[in-house]
Amino acid sequence: MNSLIARLILVLAGTSAWTLGDTIITYTNFIRQIQQPSGVVWDMSVAATSPAGGSLSALGIEPGGARYELWTVANTTPLTNYLLDTKYVSTYIPGATVAIRTGDTTYPTIPRTRCDQPFYVDITITGLLSGATDPTASKSVNLLRYVQSYGVGGTGVGIDRNQATLLSTASIVTNGLQTLTYALTSIPGSPLTKIRGEERFSVFSIADYQAPSTQLASQFVQIWPVTDGTIAGITAGQVIRTTMPQATLTLNDLYPSSRSYAQIYKGNPVLGTVGTVVPGSNLVINDTVPSNRVLLLNNYDSVFYEDGVWTMELLTVTPFGTDRLAYVTFTLDRTIEANGTFTTNE
Amino acid sequence: MTNTKFAQWAGVAMVAGLVVISHAEGPPMRDATTHEQLIPKLRQAQQNDPMKKMAVVPGADPADVYKPKDILSESDIIAFQGVATLVPKRAIILIPKNYQDRIAMLPGAKMVSWADFYVANRGWITTVEVSRTQAEGNVPLTDDTQKHLSECGNLVIATYMGGPISMLPLKEPKVPDPKAPKTTNPKTPVTTEPAKP
Repeated sequence: MNSLIARLILVLAGTSAWTLGDTIITYTNFIRQIQQPSGVVWDMSVAATSPAGGSLSALGIEPGGARYELWTVANTTPLTNYLLDTKYVSTYIPGATVAIRTGDTTYPTIPRTRCDQPFYVDITITGLLSGATDPTASKSVNLLRYVQSYGVGGTGVGIDRNQATLLSTASIVTNGLQTLTYALTSIPGSPLTKIRGEERFSVFSIADYQAPSTQLASQFVQIWPVTDGTIAGITAGQVIRTTMPQATLTLNDLYPSSRSYAQIYKGNPVLGTVGTVVPGSNLVINDTVPSNRVLLLNNYDSVFYEDGVWTMELLTVTPFGTDRLAYVTFTLDRTIEANGTFTTNE
Repeated sequence: MTNTKFAQWAGVAMVAGLVVISHAEGPPMRDATTHEQLIPKLRQAQQNDPMKKMAVVPGADPADVYKPKDILSESDIIAFQGVATLVPKRAIILIPKNYQDRIAMLPGAKMVSWADFYVANRGWITTVEVSRTQAEGNVPLTDDTQKHLSECGNLVIATYMGGPISMLPLKEPKVPDPKAPKTTNPKTPVTTEPAKP
């Protein structure tokens, strides 16, 4: 057993940077090995510039096994840490992996989606035994599902993950891959369109005389709210006879990876119409958390090429598709009509 | 299409492309989801919870036995000159008094890996390579090692193959052995006076 060297797959190594609002957040990764049952803790040496790849753990595994934890620490104030992945290695304790798939593939660091979108949990179990004389801990594992709300406007920074709510538990007794499909999140909150928080799926081993129940694998998915928005400055049915008034676009809870804009087209509102983008309204967000924005539109008359009924729509494009947030229909009547008479007199 | 007409067509298409953003990719456009639309969807999702079809775990919640630890609370932070790193608790085995203020996070410090931090701070940090049995508290550090470390005047970190490792308290032998080394692993980091120049 002492000569057993665990091969550790480095999912992420080194340092990466993302933006949070106007601040650049740097993430530094640490790989920690916890020996069982002694509890000795060792930090693997990871080169800061190392790309993703594999490495051998130099610390031999004890009879109780060892747990590997991949952490990332963000240089926020105060510091924030995230447990990105864990693996447990031992003689007869089964192996497990948990991966979460969502419709958003733009952010590789943490799985994330929106509260009205489905997500899929892929759980792979290996090494389960079924013999009559096999140890109990080798015959099954426990799957636990936790939910935790970030609260109104919360981003998850500084939350105590020990306060997560255990939503459901199950026992897995067969090897292989199984996918759990969730149509949408069960994080508590109201309204349902404004839920923000995380769901965690963890696989635990069964305790026995050599080692306590330990986490074999765990993964969480961040859930962000649905964007809402309004158009102000133009009212429905308004007749505009001069220049276009200033329009105010208010966007709340913009998805971290999204592009939002206002478009206009001639006629009454028809969902799915592709119009012309209003100059100055294009807003691209590439962030780690949702954000709010207010845009003021001025001097955009040039896109209206003739008088008549027009519709302005406020749209947001996310990895889940295009959502219409608001629209307003108005009449443009900028033609000057001069009425007069012309007479002649001999 | 003649070359001239094609050029005109392409020019118009390029200009149009500047102002018209296609959202044909992905699902069709829809109005943003409402709370009312999600109520029945959530009810159905909870009724179809795939974990309900699996066997229920008997006994206590294993998460109560094993709580995922927080790496920040389970580590000591070392910071100096705008750079910081963290090491497992009990990996620091000796803290000279003049370096005590460096065992805390500095506001705005950049967090780096242990390897990068150590390279930049070799002048005041000494590492001592320990064996697995020494880290487990089964074998003490030798007298010579203890003496050398206490005299070097540096912050001392226990490492295993270059990575910081926690040092468990030395286990008391069941039967006293008069020939055993007299030194013990420190139960808490030892603080010493600064080394004399």
